[in-house]
Amino acid sequence: MMINKWLKQLTQMLASMQTAIYLLLIVGVVSALGTFIPQGQTPTFYLQHYGRTTSMIINGLGLSNLYHVWWFQLLIILLCLSILVCAYRRLRWGKKISGLASLFMHLAIVFILIGALWSLGYSHSSFIEIARGQTIALNNYGFEEGQLKLNDFKIDYYPDFQPRQYTSDLSLINYHGKNIHQSISVNHPLKTGSLKIYQSTWGWAIQLTNLTGTTETIISLKDKDLFLLDEAQQVKVQAVFLPDFKDDKTGIQSKTPLPDHPHVWLTLLQQDKVVDMAIIPVGQEVQLGSYSLRFDTFYPYSGLQIKQDSGVYMVFAGFIILLAGLGIRYWFAFWGKKGAN
Amino acid sequence: MENILLDIFFALLLFTVIVNLIRLWKPIKHGDFISSMLIIMAVITFIVMLVVRTSMGGRIPFANAYEFTLLFAGGVLILAILVRRDLVSPLFDLSVALLTILLLSVASSFSSEIRPLMPALQSGWLYAHVATAVIAYGSFALAACLGIIYLGRAQETDLSLPEVDERIYKLVVLGFTFLTIVIITGAVWAEEVWGSWWTWDPKETWSLVTWLVYAAYLHTRHSYDWKGNKSAWMVVIGFVIVMFTLFGVSVLLPGLHSYV
Repeated sequence: MMINKWLKQLTQMLASMQTAIYLLLIVGVVSALGTFIPQGQTPTFYLQHYGRTTSMIINGLGLSNLYHVWWFQLLIILLCLSILVCAYRRLRWGKKISGLASLFMHLAIVFILIGALWSLGYSHSSFIEIARGQTIALNNYGFEEGQLKLNDFKIDYYPDFQPRQYTSDLSLINYHGKNIHQSISVNHPLKTGSLKIYQSTWGWAIQLTNLTGTTETIISLKDKDLFLLDEAQQVKVQAVFLPDFKDDKTGIQSKTPLPDHPHVWLTLLQQDKVVDMAIIPVGQEVQLGSYSLRFDTFYPYSGLQIKQDSGVYMVFAGFIILLAGLGIRYWFAFWGKKGAN
Repeated sequence: MENILLDIFFALLLFTVIVNLIRLWKPIKHGDFISSMLIIMAVITFIVMLVVRTSMGGRIPFANAYEFTLLFAGGVLILAILVRRDLVSPLFDLSVALLTILLLSVASSFSSEIRPLMPALQSGWLYAHVATAVIAYGSFALAACLGIIYLGRAQETDLSLPEVDERIYKLVVLGFTFLTIVIITGAVWAEEVWGSWWTWDPKETWSLVTWLVYAAYLHTRHSYDWKGNKSAWMVVIGFVIVMFTLFGVSVLLPGLHSYV
C-alpha cells in the first residue's frame, strides 16, 4: 500500500534525532525572525515600510502573523510528533530512572503545547471598561453568565505620585450560583473556576450636561475623548480632566494626580478646528460658541481584562512535570551514579 | 557610598585582568592564589554593595536593567569561584574578569537611580524569576568562558581538555535547568499580571530561542556524542544569543518586558 509505505517513511523520519534537532533549530530561527517583523499590521503597512518585493514575501508567507500562521503551527505539530516518537524509542532502549524522567520531560513539553493549542481554540477574553457604580452583564461580552459590578476603584501613590497600585473592588453576581466579592489589583486577579478578571488600565470619566436648546441632554465621555455635538456641522467637544488644576506661568496643568481641585478643560471644535475653549470647576456652566455646557461630575473607570481559559491549567501541569523530570534526570546523571558520566 | 564600592569592584577586576595577563606571558609565583584572592575580594565588595543598595532603597535590588546587570556580574563571579576549583587557568580568570568588566560597563549605561516598584513588578514572582535568571545566564557565561579556553587551548598545555569539556557540560545542564525555571516563572507570572502566559513578546521569544539552542547542545551531546570543539563553539554562540536576549532585545525590540 502506498499510504502505508509513506506513513512508515514519515515515522522513520520523525524517529530520527537529526530531524528533531533540525526542527528545534528551525522553530528557533523562525521565532527569532518574527521578533524583527512588526506583527499584526495591515498588508499596506508592510508595502509602505519594506517595499514591493519584501512586502510580497511577508504578506505571502503570512509573516505578519507568524506565530499563528498555518505552517508555523504545522512545524510545532511536527516537532511534537518527533519528540513523542524519539522519547518512545529511547524508552525502549533502557528503563532506568533517568530514562523515565527524560520521557516525562518530553511528554510534558508535548502536554504544554497541547494546552496552548487548546487555549488557542477554546479560550475567550474580553477587555471592558466599567465606571464606578456600574453593573454589566457578562453574557454581553461572550461569557456564560453572571453580572459584574465595580463597587469602588482607587489608586495608591508613592510620595512622588508614581502609582503604587490600582485596586478595583468588584462583585461578581450569579456566576455559577455564586456571589463573589473581591478586591483585585495588578498581580492579584479574581479567579473562579476557569474565569479570571484582571486589573488592566484605568482612567477618568466626565459627565457634562448640554443645556443648549429646550431639552437637556447628558453627555458622558472619557478623559481626552471627543463627543460629537452636531453631526451636520461636525461640531465636537473634547474634555480633558484636570484633577488638581493649577494655572501659572508654566502653563495649564494638574499639580498632582489627586482630584483635589477638579476642573475640566473643554474645547469646542468645528471641522477639527478649535472654535472656543474654557476651564471650569464642577457644577459650573459655560458658554462655548453657541453651546451651553455644564460640568456635572467626574468618576474613575476601571479597565478590566476578563478571561475564560481552561487550557492554562494543562500548561501549568506540564510545567510541573517538566521541572520534576528535569530535576530527576540530571540529579541521577550526576549524583545518583557517580562516575557514570 | 555605592559609587565608591563600585569603583573598588571595578579596580579589583582590573587588577585581576593585569595579574592574569602577566601570568599568561610568564608564570608568576603564587599567581593562582593572587588571582583567587582578587576575585574573592571583588565578590565581597559586590555583596557589600548589594547590602548598601538594599538598605538605601528599602527593597532588594532586583527590579531594573541596572540592578539586573549588576546582579548578573556578581553572579558570574560567585559561580566562577565554584567553577575554578582545581582548575588553574589564567585564561579562565582573565576571561571571567573581562566579562564582568564588560557587564559593569553595560550596567553603567543604565540609570542607577533607585525607583519604587511599579504595580506590575510587585510580586513574589519577581524574585524567583530574577534570581533564577542570574544563575541560568551566569552558568551560560562561564560555559562560554570555558568554551573559549577550550578553543584557545594552545596557551595552556597543562589543562586536561576532557575535564574542561565535562565542566562545560555540567554548566550547560545547570544553566538549562535554571533557564527552564526562568521561562516557567516568567510564564506563570505573566498569566497572573498580564492575563496571558505566552504572548510572543520579543524577550519571551528570544529566551525560547536560547532554550532551544542549549537543548540542541544537550541532544547533540547525548545522541551524537558531540564533544570538544563543536560543542565549545555551541556554548560560545549560545552565550552571544544570551547577551542579545538580555541587552540587544531591550534596545532593538521593545515589548512588554520593558523593565530590563
